[in-house]
Amino acid sequence: MSAATHVSRRQPLWLTSLGLATLLFMCLPVMIVVPMSFSSAQSLEFPPPGLSLRWYAAFFGNEVWAQAGVNSLLLATLASTIALVLGTLAAYGLVRGAFPGKALIEANFMAPMIVPSIITAVALFIVFAKLRILGTFFGLVLGHTILVIPYVVLIMQVAIRAFDVRIEHVAATLGASRMLILCRIVLPNLLPSAAAAWIFAFVISFDEVVVTLFLAGTNMTVPKRMFNELIMQINPTITAVATLLIGFNILALVLILALSRRGTHLGRGIV
Amino acid sequence: MAAVSDVGEVSVSRHQRRWEGFGFLAPLLLFALIVFDVPLLIVVFWSFSDPDTGFPSLGTYAAFVESGSYARIIWRTFLIASEVTIATALIGYPLAYWISRLEQRSQLIAIGLVTMTFWVSILVRTYAWIVMLGNGGILNRWLQSLGIVSRPVEFLYNEGGVAVGMINVLLPFLVLPLYAAMRRVDPRLIHVAETLGASRLQIFWRVFFPLTAAALGASMVLVLILSLGFYITPAILGGGRVPLIANMMDLLINKFARWEMAAVNSVILLVVTLAFYGLYQRLREKAA
Repeated sequence: MSAATHVSRRQPLWLTSLGLATLLFMCLPVMIVVPMSFSSAQSLEFPPPGLSLRWYAAFFGNEVWAQAGVNSLLLATLASTIALVLGTLAAYGLVRGAFPGKALIEANFMAPMIVPSIITAVALFIVFAKLRILGTFFGLVLGHTILVIPYVVLIMQVAIRAFDVRIEHVAATLGASRMLILCRIVLPNLLPSAAAAWIFAFVISFDEVVVTLFLAGTNMTVPKRMFNELIMQINPTITAVATLLIGFNILALVLILALSRRGTHLGRGIV
Repeated sequence: MAAVSDVGEVSVSRHQRRWEGFGFLAPLLLFALIVFDVPLLIVVFWSFSDPDTGFPSLGTYAAFVESGSYARIIWRTFLIASEVTIATALIGYPLAYWISRLEQRSQLIAIGLVTMTFWVSILVRTYAWIVMLGNGGILNRWLQSLGIVSRPVEFLYNEGGVAVGMINVLLPFLVLPLYAAMRRVDPRLIHVAETLGASRLQIFWRVFFPLTAAALGASMVLVLILSLGFYITPAILGGGRVPLIANMMDLLINKFARWEMAAVNSVILLVVTLAFYGLYQRLREKAA
């Protein structure tokens, strides 16, 4: 009780101002881009002189953007699905298994998250060029999959660790194989976590720019086209794209939070 | 005979137990080897071989040192990354502290907002600064329509613009773990200090800050690692005038086709990153 009184004690004015100002600075991009996307003006006027959906119409009516959208969805779906399958199996092996070099293997799976993506991009560029899969959609899927693997392994490890191992022991005593235990007992119980991991991976892949720029060749994705466009000029259509991306990411975040509440223990610190 | 077969069985089962569960991660291990480990090793190998003959050589490293411009860009990257890290800490720590002392409801809202910005893609957050501060952006239009300036002011396309964008993108990486660490501080310690008559300033600097210093250090190293490899924000807000190491690597690969020099830069960035990551892990263990 006394802790609560301490926490809610009045804070000095300068701290409140600094805190609010910093929070405002962090939210400013979203606060500006979203209203701008509904502007009726040709140029970037703030506040917008009138409301319209013309930039959304421009986005959805543009074939290049539509194709980029389809590519991005397909790419993120493939990468996150492959990553979910490989990553869940690996997470199960890491949590329940015992073998030499486990810590090293785990570090290896986490590495794509730690190594700057520009290095991964350069490495895959050189190797894919040699293998002649540079600029192919297949190569792009491989690159995205390795980038999202660490997040899937992390989330699934937390979920599997929280699952009561005694239930598995009972199944093993009754003669179930490891694979059967994973597929029939563990996974059905971890579906919310698996869904959260998949969405997480999907968003990371959907927003990815650096590796995509190096590997995509002529394949267009939404972030790649956005990057190319805004290096050249300010086009208000991009505010509509940006707003759609913001909405998409926030929706994914809400879904993940809802799933993690339903799932046994997705654990904190993921979002 | 029975004894021998017993021994055999025991060793088999022990062997099985020794590799238990390995089959589950074998597919991913194979995938990571092919799509990550081998490519990285090839980059390291490339950096140490002659671009024409393919024989082992330190020629590219020698060219790297001789030219001097690569080292200059790396040094500049390090300087900008350090400035960004310090600025992020200077405004991020007070924010986390302020949030951790709000009432429960306001805390939830504030952390929700920070988490939301964390989830919006870096590209979008960077793009917003062009809308706000670009030459044809909102602020310049205001200044011009109010007659304060006649020509657009170049807020962006320089180091300051890149730094603002980077700080904006990186703040959540510092604030979220710091906030978590501050919540872990035992309030009883503060009470003891209060009871013993310590002033608020003393309580903060002698009790609270030391308890959160390791977490602050860890998050700062994380921000430094991230900013050293930054590509998107400098590319967009620097307008090609503020080349950081990642943008230089992009040019070496996609414009000049100097793969071996890109490999040398990759190896250097990799070594620096891994060294800082080791430091990050040590600080994080201390903070926990």
